[in-house]
Amino acid sequence: MLTEISAIAPQDTGEDTAVQIDGVSKSFSGTVALEPIRLKVRRGEFLTLLGPSGCGKTTLLNLIAGFLEADEGELFIDHDLVTQVPPHQRKIGIVFQNYALFPHMSVAQNVAYGLRTRRVPKAETAERVREALALVKLEDFADRRPRQLSGGQQQRVALARALVIRPRVLLLDEPFSALDRNLRSAMQVELREIQSRLGLTTVFVTHDQSEALSMSDRIAVMSRGRIRQIGTPSQIYDRPENHFVSTFVGDANLFAATLLEKTDATASLDIGTTRLSLATFQEELPEPGPVTLFVRPEQCSLTDPDQPGAIAATVALSVYQGSYAELHLDCSVAENGRVMLRVPASEAMEPGTDVGIALPERGPAIYTTTERET
Amino acid sequence: MRKSVLDHLLDWSGRIVLISILGFVLLPFVVVAIASLNDGAILSFPPKSWSLRWYANAFEYRDFGAGLVNSLRIAAVGATIALIAGAGFAYVFNRYDFMFKGLLNTVLMSPLIIPNFTIGLGLLILSTAASLPRSIWLVIAVHVVIVLPFVVRSVYVSLKNFERRYEQAAESLGGTPLHVLLTITLPLLLPGLISGALFAAILSFNEFTASLYVVNQRTQTLPVAMYNYVREYADPTLAALSVIYVAPVAAMLLLVHKFFRLEKVLNVD
Amino acid sequence: MSKRPFLGWFASPSILIAFGIAASFLAIVQFSLRAHIPGALDPGGFTLDNFTTLWKTVYGKAFVTTVLLCWWTALFTLLIGYPLAYAMVRAKSARLRSAILLISLTPLFLGEIVRTYSWMIVLGNRGFLNATLMQLGVIDRPLDLMFTMTGVVIALVHFTLPIVVVMLAAALSHIDRNLERAATSLGAGRIRCFLTVTLPLSIPGIVTATSTAFAWTFSAFATPQMIGGGKVQTISTLVYQVGFASFNFPLAASLSLVGLLFTIAVLALFNTGIHRLERIGAH
Repeated sequence: MLTEISAIAPQDTGEDTAVQIDGVSKSFSGTVALEPIRLKVRRGEFLTLLGPSGCGKTTLLNLIAGFLEADEGELFIDHDLVTQVPPHQRKIGIVFQNYALFPHMSVAQNVAYGLRTRRVPKAETAERVREALALVKLEDFADRRPRQLSGGQQQRVALARALVIRPRVLLLDEPFSALDRNLRSAMQVELREIQSRLGLTTVFVTHDQSEALSMSDRIAVMSRGRIRQIGTPSQIYDRPENHFVSTFVGDANLFAATLLEKTDATASLDIGTTRLSLATFQEELPEPGPVTLFVRPEQCSLTDPDQPGAIAATVALSVYQGSYAELHLDCSVAENGRVMLRVPASEAMEPGTDVGIALPERGPAIYTTTERET
Repeated sequence: MRKSVLDHLLDWSGRIVLISILGFVLLPFVVVAIASLNDGAILSFPPKSWSLRWYANAFEYRDFGAGLVNSLRIAAVGATIALIAGAGFAYVFNRYDFMFKGLLNTVLMSPLIIPNFTIGLGLLILSTAASLPRSIWLVIAVHVVIVLPFVVRSVYVSLKNFERRYEQAAESLGGTPLHVLLTITLPLLLPGLISGALFAAILSFNEFTASLYVVNQRTQTLPVAMYNYVREYADPTLAALSVIYVAPVAAMLLLVHKFFRLEKVLNVD
Repeated sequence: MSKRPFLGWFASPSILIAFGIAASFLAIVQFSLRAHIPGALDPGGFTLDNFTTLWKTVYGKAFVTTVLLCWWTALFTLLIGYPLAYAMVRAKSARLRSAILLISLTPLFLGEIVRTYSWMIVLGNRGFLNATLMQLGVIDRPLDLMFTMTGVVIALVHFTLPIVVVMLAAALSHIDRNLERAATSLGAGRIRCFLTVTLPLSIPGIVTATSTAFAWTFSAFATPQMIGGGKVQTISTLVYQVGFASFNFPLAASLSLVGLLFTIAVLALFNTGIHRLERIGAH
């Protein structure tokens, strides 16, 4: 096992930045796809570019791969300036959404392709192809054609093909979206295992927030061609820096509120007729005035409607989810009229029941209402 | 589902209309097959006596043999040139923007609208003005101009459906543009290239009008030889030749259908 | 990094051919403006005489005949081709669909000569049709089909049918079947469903097919030449006659040129029609 890893692991140069993106931007016929981006990917790190379709994440990936040329800015891989280097000289591995396995070649020929282009001697090629297929547990499939394999197997071949060339960076373009749910989580675990075992710098593109949260060392949340926040999964989930990140990652309840007064640690605000004093994680709060209060469903709890500080709501719908139930509440002070809470399935309530929502004293975030965007 | 009387009426009239139309399409070929077996030199229906002698005549008539050889040579060379030029153009038209791209496309596609007799006349005048001999190369040039648009179309459709990711994957694995072209793009485009070339060869083999303007006795194609025969003789030799002609064409179509499915090739699936 | 690999290599053969096409077009334009010297193959000086000559009755008549042929051929090809394309696209069994497609296509690959010759045998005075009808006692004198417009139109319909069927079938096969199902679920019978959904949606295909039928008929030569036998004179037969019987290539060139301009004008008309239809469809 150890020899296999050393055969494929990238050379460690002791430096800690593997990919450096320095003000790289891209427009397509006048439409800005990517504002100037600054980003450093650390060596051995699994970094995820997360965002809705059209946010620029795939454009950024194609720029790193060299399939697109940046309008401005510089790109470094292993401290080599590669902005003008064509893709075939960049030494990167890439796995596409539909794997792009060459249909006219066998599995072994697919994996050997990157070695043939480098004129690796025949014996060594055979040995490295065997190792790479062993790594993804497909030794017995070397002579099959790609279309004879299942989706999961095809993905492993694509991974082996990308890894066998000992890439400086591994790029993954939504590689799991074509797999069904069960296979997907198994492949996620397997990929993450291989990646951390090889210590391979990886840039992963996805629009699936749960995938991003479960796999990444760090996540860069993108929208409209900009990086909106970059941090560890728990930083992104627990301390979203802005309205967009808070709603795109995880579920969020949003209340229309008026910020009355702020001190270093607390804020007092009105939500409808309810006055509250809260502590937030934010370093900087917006100016007093109309604001949006953001609370995760698991931070809210149900209480008696007459309880002081409770926000009045009515059960509209209860959705059974197995281990728990989602309660959708009509609430006049919520920004879209609705609030969602999770309760144990046994505590689900009939539609029409009046309830109160209790907000936590620590944890919620406050954003200026104008910041709202998708 | 129960059908009403009207439904049955529609179904049956539909069937009758369909069969009559198919009958109309096939009628001349059935008739020509019967006529080819007519023993007499003058056609009559139904034939009074039967014979295969016109088939022998068709095989022995020297102009047909020479015409066939010319036609095959012209179709093979013409389709090859059209394939190289057409595939190249389809590639750059699909991938790149360049100066005069639209104009080049218009000029190359114009033979789809320009009547064949005008193309024949134009190249005849041009070659005369340039004092070029009326060689087989002039006929080939005419055929290349006429079949090129069909090759371009066929290859262009394949390129449009081509998954660019294959090329990108190959590039990321270190393939230079030329290496990627030879090991990925060309092998995957092969069906489109073959069907384009095949289509071009069939069209070229059948081309008559434009050829009539540019051939001479030595370079005349099979269709021109057949036309000249009808003008001189009224016997059923040409009927026999027509039957001989139908067989390979039908066989080739069936073959193409088996490998590529015509519905797909013609986009009527 | 070369952003457009192979551009020069791949484009140059076609550029060469494009120059050839352009040059032969210019050759026609140039010849149409030159005087004809009887007995000589080389043309004389520049003149506009060829175009004034075209005003003569015989050329005008050929134009009218050609346009009439195009109109009747396009009309009948559509009437026959539409049911055929419809039956093919809607055929329940794949076998029947392939059979219809193969039968409709085979004539396309048989060339003008074989097809026209076959029709000569069918339509001739002692041909299949007349012999059969006379033996059945339907007629007692042969019908005049050879050397008439009727005969030429019959053969031309047969000639243009395959390409029209392919185009109509392509248009029909791209109509979403669920639209017809929706119409049926809303209570439309088969005829109403066809008239209110299928037919309107296939109109762009019909227009494209018609314009193609027009262009094919306009450029057809063997059929009017062999079945018309000099009695049905079209632009194509006249160009050949002027060129190879009187060796008046300047006049043949000007006739070709006027014919080409006419074709382009008609096709442009069809094109605007299609664009307008598509714009209606988009709303």
